[in-house]
Amino acid sequence: MRLGVATLLLWLCTAPLAAAQDLHYPARPQPNQATGQLVIHGALDLVHVRPLLAAFHRRYPGIELTYRNLDTLPLHERFLAAPDEVDVLISSAMPWQYRLANDGHAQPLDAAVAAAWPDWARWRQELFAFTFEPVVMVVRRELIDRFGRPESHADLLTLLQRHGTALAGRVVTYDPSRSGAGYTYAIEESRLSPRYWDLVAALGQAEASLVDTTGEMLAGLAEGRYWLGYNLLGSYAHRVVERDPALEMVIPDDYALVTQRLALIPRRAPHPRSARRFLEYLIGLEGQRVIAEQTALGAIHPALDGPGTADRLRATHGEALRPLALGPGLLATLDDLKRQALLARWRREFSRGGEAGE
Amino acid sequence: MTRRDSLYRRLLTWLLLPLLALGGLMVLQAWMDARRTADRAYDRLLEAATLAIAEQVQWQEQRLWLDLPPAALEMLATDAEERVFYALYDAQGRFVTGNAELPGDPREVGERADGLLYRDIVWRDLALRQGVRRAHLEDWRQRERFEVRVAHTREGRERLAAELLRGNLAYILTMAALAVVILLLAIRAALAPLTRLRRAIRARDPRTLAPLALSLPRELAELRETLNDLLARMRRVRANQERFIGDASHQLRTPLAGLSARAELALRQDDPARWREALEAMHTTSVRTSRLAIQLLSLTRLDNPEYRPELASLDLNALARQAVRAHWNACHRDAVDLGVEASPSPVTIEGLDWQLEEALGNLIDNARRYGARHITVRTHASPPTLEVEDDGPGIPAERRLLMLRPFHRGSDDPDGSGLGLAIVDGIARTHDARLALEDGDDGRGLRVVLRFPGDTP
Repeated sequence: MRLGVATLLLWLCTAPLAAAQDLHYPARPQPNQATGQLVIHGALDLVHVRPLLAAFHRRYPGIELTYRNLDTLPLHERFLAAPDEVDVLISSAMPWQYRLANDGHAQPLDAAVAAAWPDWARWRQELFAFTFEPVVMVVRRELIDRFGRPESHADLLTLLQRHGTALAGRVVTYDPSRSGAGYTYAIEESRLSPRYWDLVAALGQAEASLVDTTGEMLAGLAEGRYWLGYNLLGSYAHRVVERDPALEMVIPDDYALVTQRLALIPRRAPHPRSARRFLEYLIGLEGQRVIAEQTALGAIHPALDGPGTADRLRATHGEALRPLALGPGLLATLDDLKRQALLARWRREFSRGGEAGE
Repeated sequence: MTRRDSLYRRLLTWLLLPLLALGGLMVLQAWMDARRTADRAYDRLLEAATLAIAEQVQWQEQRLWLDLPPAALEMLATDAEERVFYALYDAQGRFVTGNAELPGDPREVGERADGLLYRDIVWRDLALRQGVRRAHLEDWRQRERFEVRVAHTREGRERLAAELLRGNLAYILTMAALAVVILLLAIRAALAPLTRLRRAIRARDPRTLAPLALSLPRELAELRETLNDLLARMRRVRANQERFIGDASHQLRTPLAGLSARAELALRQDDPARWREALEAMHTTSVRTSRLAIQLLSLTRLDNPEYRPELASLDLNALARQAVRAHWNACHRDAVDLGVEASPSPVTIEGLDWQLEEALGNLIDNARRYGARHITVRTHASPPTLEVEDDGPGIPAERRLLMLRPFHRGSDDPDGSGLGLAIVDGIARTHDARLALEDGDDGRGLRVVLRFPGDTP
């Protein structure tokens, strides 16, 4: 069981650089200001987290802030080994975060902002989703010029089925057996539609490359090795696509999965007061505005509706967005037998497509 | 009647306390009912979830296999966002899959066809409701047994139970409030006649002793009758007193008038021998009058119900002998034979010696005056008794009770005041003794018996 979980925990996508990166903000005590310490462990790139932490530090300069950027697997394991080391735990591995909260590792946040937070973005008062990141496709101009721009999964399926040979080796996606994110998307998509398996078969037919992270996919796309990347994390793709005119980001208009970063305060947090301050800031108007304006993570505060917010994304893709439900269904994702069954099916379908293509 | 001890308060306390206890029981019952109902409702979820999971259990690759349906877990979490746990165990009790190694249920399923067991458990400090389904594979060849265990936290159940309880509580509280109001009104109404009685008594003229005429409920009517009895007694006492005062003033007026007439008559004469004669007569009259006055005084004192003298131990034998000694001379002069027959053992009672001496003196005096030849003072030990027996004319049985009244004389003896026996009666009452007038030994004469309470061994 544990071994299975460990293998499953390869959420390398969210941290392109394997090495742990730390941020440290020393305390600059001011009169009449809260003081203390705060230790945050997060699976959230420094480029995204830096403006958030800087703004928090400006707000509470008396709190000494330490941020450790970890991959989701080490983050989870380190927490289980030392549950009293960290004050706030942030991760994009939704099932694992959910499981920690379900098992009673989180403490509730009794605050007005927590009570006002949308129901779909929190569980009890213990687990809070604070970002809104669609799972997208990234396509190169070459592909658009030759075959048109695929706007949906159906388009993609047709494209792969019609031009599988032409696209051989030019398509890249997650390997669900090695990437936790890829596995999570696979299980969600298979639940959404039985045609997903046709898509897997078509991917196999097109001899799609299977990689571990969004970063790898983006690198390959930028280099021109791949023409189409399927199931990339939108928040990461956004930055690259913005700067590279050869790339375009497509949010599928039939359905688009949305993942969310989940934050919780461990029950045995060493500095619970600071932790509560940070979480209140994170889901408060201040932190959410920083997320909307300075990151591509997507703010979900109901009062914000400018660019970079969930509301804006909903306005354009409302019908298609499928946020992962924050509920016990996530636990099923973690079931060992289920994982084996799904991966077996996935491999079968993928190789079936490959054989059919030959 | 102090404020603390009021009938109203007593009634209220003794009615409200059981009522409150009853109310408490009802609330407890309502709470248990609400819990049971909530559990029954939510256990359906456990049932459905275990069924959904059990249906997905298969035999694959020589082992139990489960394709966990996420909906099975989602149905366990309601709006209350319960924590959810599940596990699949094989026939040997080995963990197959799950997110928690939930404990098994030691009970047997028994006759129930669905093979479900529910119970409350505490697991890792979480209060959970667990459902265990024992089932087996419905395969042609494989009939491997397995066990699906699911559990969730109790928030949803508690919320529903609290809601049900709130509804019941509102009902119970309304009933309790109504009951209390009715109780207060009922007690007030029940105690109203008491207030009426009090007002009626307070409004009375303090000098009147007329009976209370007031319609009252039975319990208070008894009180009213008792009061009326008391008033009647008081009326009789007052009538007695009035007659006594009238008699007494008449008794005193007659000798005083006699004295005055005698003195006037004597003053008209010049003969010193006549004066002497008159003076002697006046002396006799004044002695008698002063004795009468003394007797009246002691009778008044004895009749005073508030008079509670300090009693002391005394021996009736000694008292009898003392009385005989004191009166022997007077009797001897009149040739009366006065004797004492004392009990062989000392007869000790609680009493006042001077009163008993006076009683004996009165009795001996009476007997002597009414013509007895033999007077015997007697004591008995058990019960303590003092008797004076004479062989005089005696008193007919039907008149004996009258003799105890003041100023009632057996004959027209000018010397007697008619107070002797009344005084003896008063003294007897002071000593809680019983006074009896009986025939003498051989049906002649009179025996006056004083039986004292208690028993000297």
